[in-house]
Amino acid sequence: MSARLSNLFAALVFLSMIAALGAVFLYVPTERTMGLVQRIFYFHVPAAISAFLAFFIVFVASIQYLRTQEMKWDRLALSAAELGVLFGLIVLITGPIWARPIWGVYWRWEPRLTSMLILFSMYVAYLMVRSYGTSSARTPRLASVLGILAFVNVPLVYYSVNLWAAEQQLHPQKIALEPPMKYTLYICYAAFLLFFLFLLQRRLELEKTADALTDLQQQLSDD
Amino acid sequence: MSFFSRTLAILRKDLLAEWRTKERLSPMVFFVLLTLLVFNFSFELGGAALHEIGPGVLWSAFVFASLLGLNRSFVDERENGCLDGLLLAPGDRSAVYMGKMLGNLLFLLAVELISLPFFTLFFNLSPGPFLLPLLGLFLLGSASLASVGTLFAAMSSNMRLRELLLPLLLLPMVMPALISCVEATALVLKGDELARIAPYLQILTVFVVVFTTLSLLLFEHVIEE
Amino acid sequence: METSDAIAVDRASKRFGTFVALNQVDLHLPAGGVLLLAGPNGAGKSTLLRLLAGIGRPTSGQVRVAGADPNGDPEARSAIGLLSHQTLLYDDLTAHENLLFFARLYNLEKREERVGEALAEAGLAEWRDHRVRNFSRGMKQRLALARATLHQPSILLFDEPFTGLDQVATDALSRHLRRFKEQGRTCILVTHRLDTAADLIDHLAILRRGRIRHQAPWVNGSREELSALYTAHLEEQS
Repeated sequence: MSARLSNLFAALVFLSMIAALGAVFLYVPTERTMGLVQRIFYFHVPAAISAFLAFFIVFVASIQYLRTQEMKWDRLALSAAELGVLFGLIVLITGPIWARPIWGVYWRWEPRLTSMLILFSMYVAYLMVRSYGTSSARTPRLASVLGILAFVNVPLVYYSVNLWAAEQQLHPQKIALEPPMKYTLYICYAAFLLFFLFLLQRRLELEKTADALTDLQQQLSDD
Repeated sequence: MSFFSRTLAILRKDLLAEWRTKERLSPMVFFVLLTLLVFNFSFELGGAALHEIGPGVLWSAFVFASLLGLNRSFVDERENGCLDGLLLAPGDRSAVYMGKMLGNLLFLLAVELISLPFFTLFFNLSPGPFLLPLLGLFLLGSASLASVGTLFAAMSSNMRLRELLLPLLLLPMVMPALISCVEATALVLKGDELARIAPYLQILTVFVVVFTTLSLLLFEHVIEE
Repeated sequence: METSDAIAVDRASKRFGTFVALNQVDLHLPAGGVLLLAGPNGAGKSTLLRLLAGIGRPTSGQVRVAGADPNGDPEARSAIGLLSHQTLLYDDLTAHENLLFFARLYNLEKREERVGEALAEAGLAEWRDHRVRNFSRGMKQRLALARATLHQPSILLFDEPFTGLDQVATDALSRHLRRFKEQGRTCILVTHRLDTAADLIDHLAILRRGRIRHQAPWVNGSREELSALYTAHLEEQS
C-alpha cells in the first residue's frame, strides 16, 4: 500500500472512531435498566466479532501456508493471531467492567465469557509456540497446524461450555434494540472492522519489512 | 495395510520398552495418587461436597498425569537419534502418530484403571453399578487426551521449554473433552439416565474423531525437519 | 542431468531460520558409484545426507534418490539405508527385538529368518537376547549396520560411521564398504578418515560452508593425493 493511500486509510479509521465515540456517548440514549454502563456493550460486542474474524483469518491463512509454503500467509496468520488475542482481551476486560454494576461481581463462570477465555488461552498458546520455536523454518508449520486445530475447536468449546453452564445463563442473550441503539451498534461494528483492518495492514507491513531485512542479512552473510 | 502393520510395530515396541523399564506407568500412577492427596488437603474432601467435586478431582488428576506420559512418548525417541529411524522408514509417517497415539491411550487407560480403586477407597464412592459406563468414559476421555496430546507432544519435543509448552498447548485445547468427562462422570455416579449423559458423549466422540483425523492429516508437517 | 543417476541433487538449499546450511548444491552420482563427501565441520555434510535420506525437505531445489523424492514419496525410502554416528537403536530392547522392530517397520517378509541372518552376519548371534545398553561401541555399530542394511537398500548413506571405533572395528567396517561396492550398491560416505576412503571411492565431492567446491570422479588416487586436494580447497578463499 502506498504511503498516501495508507495515510488516507488511517484518516478514515480515525474519523470512523470519532463517529463511533460520538454515537455511543452523545447520540444514543441511556438504556433503561442498566444505565450508563450499558454503553460498554457497543465496544464489547464489536470487539468479540473482531476477535472471531481474526481467528477465522488465522485458520484460512494457516491452511494456505501449509499448502503453498509462502511466507505471506504465515505473516497474515501471525498478525491476525495477535489481533485476535488483543480483541479477545478487550472482550475479557470490558465484560467484567460491564458485569460489576449489573451482576454485583466482576466475574461469573457463564458460557460466553468462559468460552472466550478458553479461546483466548488457545491463541495465547499459539503466540507462545511462535516465541519458543527453536528453528524458524519449522515454527510457521507448527503454528499453522495449531491455527487449524484451534479454530476447529471453537464450536466444540462453545457447545460444551453452554451445556455445562445451562443453569448459569446470566449473559444477556438478546437485547431488544431500539433503532438508535441499532444504528449505534452498526456504526461501532463498522468502526471496529476498519480499525481491525488498519491494525492488520500495519502489522503485516511491519512483518514484511522484518522478513525483508532478514533476507538481506542472509544475502550479505552468504558472501 | 502396511500402515496398520507399521502402527502396530511402533505400538508393540513402545509397550515392550515400557514393560522392560516401567518408566512411564509407575510415575504416572504415583502422580495421580499424590494429586488426589493434594486435592484432599486443598478441598477437605469427604461428606456431601465429595459428590460435587469428586469427578472434577478425578479428571484433573488424570489430565495432569497425562502431561507426564505424553511428553515421554517423543522425548524418548531423541535418545540415540531413534526418531530418525522412524522417519527413515518407508510409508506414510502418520503411522508413527497412530502408533504413538494408541500407546498413549493404553498408558492413560492403565493409569486410570489402577487409580480407580484408590479413588473409591479414599473418597468412599461406590461406582459398582456404574462401572461399565465409567469405563466407557475413561476410554473416551483418554482417547481425547491422546489424540491431541500426541500431536502436541511431537510438536513440543523439539522446542525450548517443552515441559512447559505442552500443558499450555494441551489444556485449553482439551477443555471441551474435560468438561464433558467431568459432567458425564458426575451424572453417571448419580445414576442419571442416559438421555442426560448423551450430549456429553456426543461431544467426546466428535472430539476424538475430529482431532484424531486432523492429527493424522497434519502430522507430517509437525514431525519433519 | 541424467535421469539414470542414483543420486540427483539440483540447486538444493536448506535453511534453518536465518542459517543457510546448504546453498544451491548440485550433486550427481551414477548407480553403483561410491562418493566421498568431504569437508570441514559445519560444512553441511550431515544436512545433505539427511535430505538424501528423506528426513528433511530442501528449502528450495530438488533432491532425487533412485529417481524419486525421498521425502515426498513414501515408498522411495525403502531403497535407502543410513548409518549415522548415532546408532538409532533402542537401548532397552535386545538386539533381536531391535532388528525385528525395523523388519516390521520396513514390512519385510520372513522376518525372523532375516533377523537371524543379519545377527549372524554381524557376529552378534550369541548376543541376540542381550540389551543393547550393555553392548560396546563396536558391537553397537555392527548392530546399527545390520539395522541399516536389513532391508537390502540399493543406496547407502554413511555419516561419520568410523567415529569411536577402534582399528579392528574400523577395518571390519571398511571390508563391509568394499563388499557393498562390489555388490553394486550406491554409497555416499562422509568421513574424516581419508586413509580408509582413498582406495574405496570413485567419486569425490568437497563441501564447504554449504557449497560444493569440487565434484569429480576419483580414479585410483592415493591417500596423499586426496589429502592434498582436500587441503587445497580448504585454503581457497572463494
